[in-house]
Formats: sequence, C-alpha cells, structure tokens
Amino acid sequence: MKNFSKSNKTLLIVFGLLLILGLFAYFTMGQTSFVRTSLSGLTIGALYFMVAAGLTLVFGLMDVLNFAHGTTFMIGAYMGWQFFTNPSFLFGVAPLLIAFLAGISANTLLQVYVTQWKIDESKREWIKRGLILMALVFGLIGVWGIDFLDLAETAMVAITFTTNPLSELSPQLPLAVFWYRPLLMLFSGALLAVAIAGPGDKTKTLHVDNAKRGWIVVAVLIVLTIVSVLVRESGPEAVLLMNADLRFVLSLLVGALIGAGFGAAMEASLIRPLYVRPMYQVLVTLGVAYVFKEVIQVLWEPLAYQMSRPPFFSQPGKADNLIAWFSTHNTTVDILGVTFPSYRLFIILLGILMLIGLAILMNFTRFGMIIRAGVQDRSMVEALGINVRRVFTLVFALGAGLAALGGIGAAPFIPVQPNMGDAFQLQGFIVVVIGGMGSYSGAAIGALLLGMARAFGDYLALKFSLSPAISEASTVIIMAIILIVKPSGLFGKKE
Amino acid sequence: MDNLMLNVSNIQTFIGQFHILEGVSLEVPKGAITVLLGRNGAGKTTTLKSILGLTPPREGIVEFKGNPIQGKRAYDVAAMGIGYVPEHRAIFSNLSVAENLKIAERKKGDLDKKADFIFELFPDLKRLYKLPGNHLSGGQQQMLAVARALVPDNDLLLIDEPSEGLAPILIQQMMEAIRSLSSKTTVLLVEQNFRMASQLAEYYYIIDDGKSVQHGKMADLVNDTETVHRYLGTAVGALGGKR
Repeated sequence: MKNFSKSNKTLLIVFGLLLILGLFAYFTMGQTSFVRTSLSGLTIGALYFMVAAGLTLVFGLMDVLNFAHGTTFMIGAYMGWQFFTNPSFLFGVAPLLIAFLAGISANTLLQVYVTQWKIDESKREWIKRGLILMALVFGLIGVWGIDFLDLAETAMVAITFTTNPLSELSPQLPLAVFWYRPLLMLFSGALLAVAIAGPGDKTKTLHVDNAKRGWIVVAVLIVLTIVSVLVRESGPEAVLLMNADLRFVLSLLVGALIGAGFGAAMEASLIRPLYVRPMYQVLVTLGVAYVFKEVIQVLWEPLAYQMSRPPFFSQPGKADNLIAWFSTHNTTVDILGVTFPSYRLFIILLGILMLIGLAILMNFTRFGMIIRAGVQDRSMVEALGINVRRVFTLVFALGAGLAALGGIGAAPFIPVQPNMGDAFQLQGFIVVVIGGMGSYSGAAIGALLLGMARAFGDYLALKFSLSPAISEASTVIIMAIILIVKPSGLFGKKE
Repeated sequence: MDNLMLNVSNIQTFIGQFHILEGVSLEVPKGAITVLLGRNGAGKTTTLKSILGLTPPREGIVEFKGNPIQGKRAYDVAAMGIGYVPEHRAIFSNLSVAENLKIAERKKGDLDKKADFIFELFPDLKRLYKLPGNHLSGGQQQMLAVARALVPDNDLLLIDEPSEGLAPILIQQMMEAIRSLSSKTTVLLVEQNFRMASQLAEYYYIIDDGKSVQHGKMADLVNDTETVHRYLGTAVGALGGKR
C-alpha cells in the first residue's frame, strides 16, 4: 500500500484535488447543475482524449509534433459521415486507391530484381526521375475525367429516416468506361515501386526473407481491387439499405481505418525521410494539415454539414433512467434529474473503451512493450534487432486511427466542417503537455482535467455573465500551472 | 581469415560536424575476449556504435562473419547476431525485469530457452523478475543489461563499460559472468578499469583520439608499463591498477 501511494503520488494528488473541487462545486451549484456540467465535461474530455492519445504516443516515441492530427480528426469525421450518408464517393475512389496501393506495395519484392539491373551510376537518378514521371502520367490518366465533385455531393442537412435513404446516391461511371482506370493506377503504383526500389543500386539491403509475406500482401490487395471494382455500383445502395445502426458502426470502422491509412501513408512518404531534420517534420505536418483542409473544401465546399444520429440514439422522447433507455433508445435520458442527450453518453463510453483498449495494448502485448521501451530509448530498441521504423509507422497509424475515430464519433453532435479539427488540435497539445509526453494515461488524466475545466468554465461564465473566453483561457491557465509545478507534465518521464 | 568474428577496417565516423573516429581498425578473433582501451572521449563507445550502425561510419569497412555490414540499419545488424550492452546501464526503467528480457527475444521462446543460463549467471534477477526496472540498484541494472543481450542467440557481444560505478564485489561478480559467457560467444569489451580488463581479455586494442594506435596480446601489455602509462595513465591511477 505504501508502495502504491509512493509510485502513484501525482495521480492521488490530482484525484484528491478534483474530489475537493468537486465537493465544493456540488454544494455551491446544487445537484442538477453539477451533474449536467460534469457530464458535459466528461463528453468533452473523452473527445480530447481521443485526439491526445495519438498525439502523445507519436511525440513520445518519435519526437514528431504532429500538426496534422486535428486534420486527421476532421478527415475521420468526413469519411465516416460520407459512408453513413452517401457512400458513392468512397466506393468510387476505393478501387483506384487500392489498385495504386497494390502496385506500390510490390516495392520490396521488386527490389531483388531491380537492384541487380546493370545501370550506369550517372544514369540512375535520371531513370528514377523518369519512372516517377511516368507513374505520375499513368496516375493522372487513371483519374482523368472522373467527376469527383459529383460523387461527393451530399445534402447539407441530414436526411431523416422517413425519406428515401437512397436519394443521396450519386451515379457511378459504368464499368465499361471504368475498368481500365484501376489497371492504370496499378501500373502507376508499380512504376513508383520500381523507382523506390532503387534500380541498379546494389548497395541496398535486401529483405529476401520477407518475400512470401510480400506476395501475400500484393495478392490480397489485387483481390480487394477486383472486389471493389465489382461492388462499386451496387455497394453504396447496399450500405444505405442496411440497418442504420449497423451502418453507423461500420462508419466508425471506416472512418478509423481511413484515418489510420492516412496516418501510415503520411509517415511513410513525408515524415520518414525527415527524421534527421525534426524542424522540417513540424513544417511538413503543418503543410499536410493545410493541404488536406483545402482538398476537403474542394470536395464538399466550405460548408457545415449535419450528420444524423443512428436510430439507436434518436427515438423521440426521454427515457426515465439509463436502464429504461436500453429498451426505448430515446434521444435524451434522465440522469439524476438531468436531461442529457444519450448520444453524448455514448461518446463518454467510447472514450472509456478506447482507454481500456490502449491500456491492454500497451501493457499486455509485445507491440505495446516496444512502444513503452521506445519512448524511453529508441536507439536501444533498434540495437535489440527490432525494426523501429515499422513500429513508427504503426504507431503513427494507430494515433491517426484513434483521432479519426474521435472525429466520426463527434460528427453526430458537432457540425462536420473543414476546420472542425483545429480546436481539438490545440486542446490536444495542451492535454499532452499536461499529461506528459508519451504517456497515454497522462493524456487521459489531462483530457479529463481540460474537459472539466471547459465545462465548469462555461457554467461560471454563464452564471456570472462573464465572457465565454474564460473557459478557453482556463485550459491554458491549468497548463501554465502544471508547467511551473512539474515541467515534464504530470506523468512525463522523458526530459 | 576464417577465425575472425569481426573485421573493422579504417572506419571514419562523424557525429554532426565532429569527426569522432579518424581511422579505427580492429580484428576480433572468434571465441575470445578483446578489449578496447583508451582515455575518456577517445572514441571507444563510438566504435561500438559504429559497428552496430547506431552511428554509421561514413567511410571504411565493417565485416561480421565475413559479410559487410556497414551502411545497414542497426536492427538488421543486430538481428544478424550481435548483442549490445550500452554504457550507463541503459535498461528500460519503465519496463519490468521480465519485460526487459522479453523484449530482446528475436524468436518466440528465446527467453524460455535461455532463462536457466541467465539465472545461473545472475541469480538476483530471478528474485527481482516482476519488479519494474527503476526499482533495481545500479549493479542489478547492469546485470539486467548484460542478461538482456544474452536472450537471443548472439555470436558477438559488444559490452560497454560493465564495471562502471559498481562496488568491488559486484565487479568481481560481473567479471565472473563475462568470463563464463566468453566460452559461448565472442566478446568485444570497452573497459576503463585496467585491472578488470587485464584479467579478462586475451587481446587488446588501444584507441586514442579516434584512431586505433596499438594492439596485441593482453599478456604483453600488462608488462609494458610505459604504453599503459602513456595511453591509459589516468585510468590506471584512478582505478587502482597498481594497488
């Protein structure tokens, strides 16, 4: 017991302070206001946690300050919302993207042959550039003439479940004029793979032993391409006609997966070459954030969309208590005399589930063990024979996936718009600083603190008719205090 | 040169702008302990890191079991069968003793196979198995760092200053452990404690100002007080080599 209190001193102090503040607030505010404000705080905190968890892992392990994390949150929201409302865009783009991935993932397989080509050293660079240019041309022809804007077009206000859900669908190009495009993308990816493999470069380290797995990956991707070509036209309809609750669960998955893929692609293509220049990495992530915000604006215009809640959370009326809600699925539920939206409870639950999932991953798997070790000393992890680069990519993907899951989770109650991630980006950074770099549990505590500060700040501002800026300022004040008392953050160990 | 485990020839290593190694050449024979001697800052640690690829040399050749390994990533080099025990007891202090050993596995079951051997060398670790790394004393951490390098099947161990900051009785225990290791694997050791080095190693290399300046059999060096004094002067005095 003595050991526990010693090693968890910070945790006990934080909870002690929260308890005192909570009791004080409870008796001054009265039960109703207190419960309502606490629940809002938990909701905000859960969202902050989803953003901050990835940020803190990525920063702790790789020292990359990821300014594109809020953008990932936003992309997750858009992709999930599209899948839920009008999947034509996703189904239309998927074959092209998967075909391109299939091509580029042949890179390690091609290395064995490509590096053996007899090419004069002076010509190597030119051949590489030529290949990249050709890949670009193939890729451009592959997507030329597809009306992406039409595919993406979606009504601003969420469709209600009484109207025809299929009304949102946009028509896909017929197979007769579409079939060659994935092929071109496959070529484009393969050409790029040859260029990356390093033609004639005999000094490259070959990974021949991974060949079998490499073939399987390429084969699976090609099969997926064919499947996605075939379901391109019927898929969106099938998705929209399925049970809306199931569709919502799938949207969460799709949003998170696309976010993870976005993160992995970003790490592998833009971040990885810059590990020796950390400042450039920061700039690159900032650039990515701007570029993708613009891309989203081109596709869906700078508008705010409203995503509808799944029927599981949107039956009209109010449930008398949480247990009754499970049979009625009302929009709101009565908790200790407070009427609270049931969907927000789901967000709190999602945050808690994510924390539990992360705790299991970090403490009981080899991958988690490597992350924890790498946060402390990544060159030693590498010296043990562990491919740290691959771990980096996976952690980046994991962090991006969590942020994207947060985005799609938040979509049904905050407007889906291009700058929806910005506020979360900033608050995510503050959470990371408070919790300590590289500590997911620190991020959880930090997110809880900030969420509560925001909620109670808003309450105070409303009650004493102060400027609402006070609640925003409160988070920064908390950060400043913690930086003074404990510069490494509450649970940070790394200098 | 079939009996060479490691052949380093004329490596040049830069860290940022600084030219740290200006021509280090080593031949490490199989099945023996070779020690790198030299003053603080001479480049001994950087030599080990350059072999492993943690600070890749800009020029020169590193051959491990006859295969060139310079320019490869450190994890590829390590996976070929090189274990590394860094200086300052760099264990993972936020991982438990068990996890510190487990993470070094290259194949599933490595640890189960080696556990008996490791606990025979360092009986303390068995008792401390579940504790987090930062609850261990300095000596225990050093033992854990060595034990970690023993988990996978390594042909060569690079050990950086195993005696640093240890009490005399622990130095003795560490020496015994390294000696019994060397019957199984080749060891390249960096050691400031000349007495320990002279009792353990069969061959020596002296590194001075980033260059390998002299090498030979340890037995010859022990009698060559002039060389010892010129290159290792402070080290001998400070650590009681003549006591």
